[in-house]
Amino acid sequence: MAEKKIAVRSQDPGQRRVLDSATRQRRLTRQLEALEKDNFQDDPHASLPQLVKRLPQFDESNESSKRRKKTRGDHFKQRFRKNFQTLLEEEDLSVSEGPNYLTACAEPSKFPQRHFCAVCGFPSNYTCVSCGSRYCCVRCLGTHHETRCLKWTV
Amino acid sequence: MTTLVLDNGAYFAKIGYSHEKVSVIPNSQFRSKTSRLKTFTANQLDEIKDPSGLFYILPFQKGYLVNWDVQRKVWDHLFGKEMFKVDFADTNIVITEPYFNFTSIQESMNEILFEEYQFQSALRINAGSLSAHRYFHEKNSELCCIVVDSGFSFTHIIPYCRGRKMKEGICRINVGGKLLTNHLKETISYRQLHVMDETHVINQVKEDVCYVSQDFYKDMEIAQFKGEDNMVMKDYVLPDFSSIKKGFCKPREEMNFTGKYKTGEQILRLTNERFAVPEMLFHPSDIGIQEMGIPEALVNSINNMPEDMQSHFYKNIVLTGGNTLFPGFRDRVYKEVRALAPVEYEVSVVLPQNPICYPWEGGKLLAENPDFEEMVVTRDDYEENGHYVCEEKFDI
Repeated sequence: MAEKKIAVRSQDPGQRRVLDSATRQRRLTRQLEALEKDNFQDDPHASLPQLVKRLPQFDESNESSKRRKKTRGDHFKQRFRKNFQTLLEEEDLSVSEGPNYLTACAEPSKFPQRHFCAVCGFPSNYTCVSCGSRYCCVRCLGTHHETRCLKWTV
Repeated sequence: MTTLVLDNGAYFAKIGYSHEKVSVIPNSQFRSKTSRLKTFTANQLDEIKDPSGLFYILPFQKGYLVNWDVQRKVWDHLFGKEMFKVDFADTNIVITEPYFNFTSIQESMNEILFEEYQFQSALRINAGSLSAHRYFHEKNSELCCIVVDSGFSFTHIIPYCRGRKMKEGICRINVGGKLLTNHLKETISYRQLHVMDETHVINQVKEDVCYVSQDFYKDMEIAQFKGEDNMVMKDYVLPDFSSIKKGFCKPREEMNFTGKYKTGEQILRLTNERFAVPEMLFHPSDIGIQEMGIPEALVNSINNMPEDMQSHFYKNIVLTGGNTLFPGFRDRVYKEVRALAPVEYEVSVVLPQNPICYPWEGGKLLAENPDFEEMVVTRDDYEENGHYVCEEKFDI
């Protein structure tokens, strides 16, 4: 650990890559979007057929008419298959009057921002020069450089 | 004629006939690692013996109903013979929708309730309005109340005056239970054990160990202590779904402060995560969401109301939704609102017995109300006048 510590601090400042504010903002947005996900990974079995009933047989002719009726229902449902973003754009709220989804969002807080170490979560006093993350001690800075500063390994 | 009350949340559906009790059922479908070919719907979750790596298929996105295929599968299951055995020709429905629900979702809702399921009549309403109805029913001398609805997708603050929703005072904070669970998942995965696929397990961890701090920086100091002085630290035994079916906290006497446990269980050691995670509700800016926390937003929302109503709102703050169940939540909201509100106003924060089902209870009362028939849209009315009549009658 002691060697790492020296390595981090004695880096030549001229050679250090510093992320600009746009990149930092993009990183933050990506992190916040990740917090909205229902699942970490896509469904590994999404492509497998779902065994709800028995699998269809090729020579069953009387079933095909039944299935056609079903597809009409599916078509009806297709109309509703829109994601949140499309629905939001469709509402065209920026021009509408009165309170709506966009205006109801809470304003930024009037209290000062609080800072916590990106590694251990305790109150932090220092900012990483390269990426703008917060850290509380040299030990955490070392971990931060190894894992999440410019590359995102964990 | 019977009335079915359905508080259709993004995580749990609270459902029951108005003359019966409420059931809380997951409003989603699941896939499990072990039985790959089957999709489980709603309370079939209980059939999954090993819910590690549980995959969620949710009908809601950011609190709004977008995936109707999934929603209808869940409803088919709930209304069907396995559960509520709904006789649509003889049933009314009270169903909740999010605030400022999009027009196209509202129309789809009409079509599905009246055309697909053919309910005799329907009342579409916000969960907060039902909570307010429930509150005024108990405290009928009060004129105003302000409902905090902190659920899975987000948190809303909604002022009501004499049963009327004050739209201009509605405030949304984009922090809900899902974000808290995902944040805890992320933190644990980075600091000790990779659990990114274990949403179901970590949600349970959150419910078991997290609490709202009354003195945030003091708890931060305690959480930094080593060994037995660290009163915040807890060891959580993760379930393995064979011998340990459900995770639990190690009792303090059995905690090993100095070294590793000899037993083979998987342990999470939680310190500042316990209160830093629910803290997002009070300071969303801690993780970079530039929005007010609940107490500040409450005060801000009340300040936007006419001055003669403000004192009434301060003494009728009602907390609903699953996040309000964190220990210490009510006291913290009270403390911060008290500090921010003018001294001459009395502040009172009410946490109902069952904050998750509070809106459902309001729906039950509404269904028994003599004015109920005036509030609903009947199927005949819908078939005659279409979406227009629903738009006129329902205040979404």
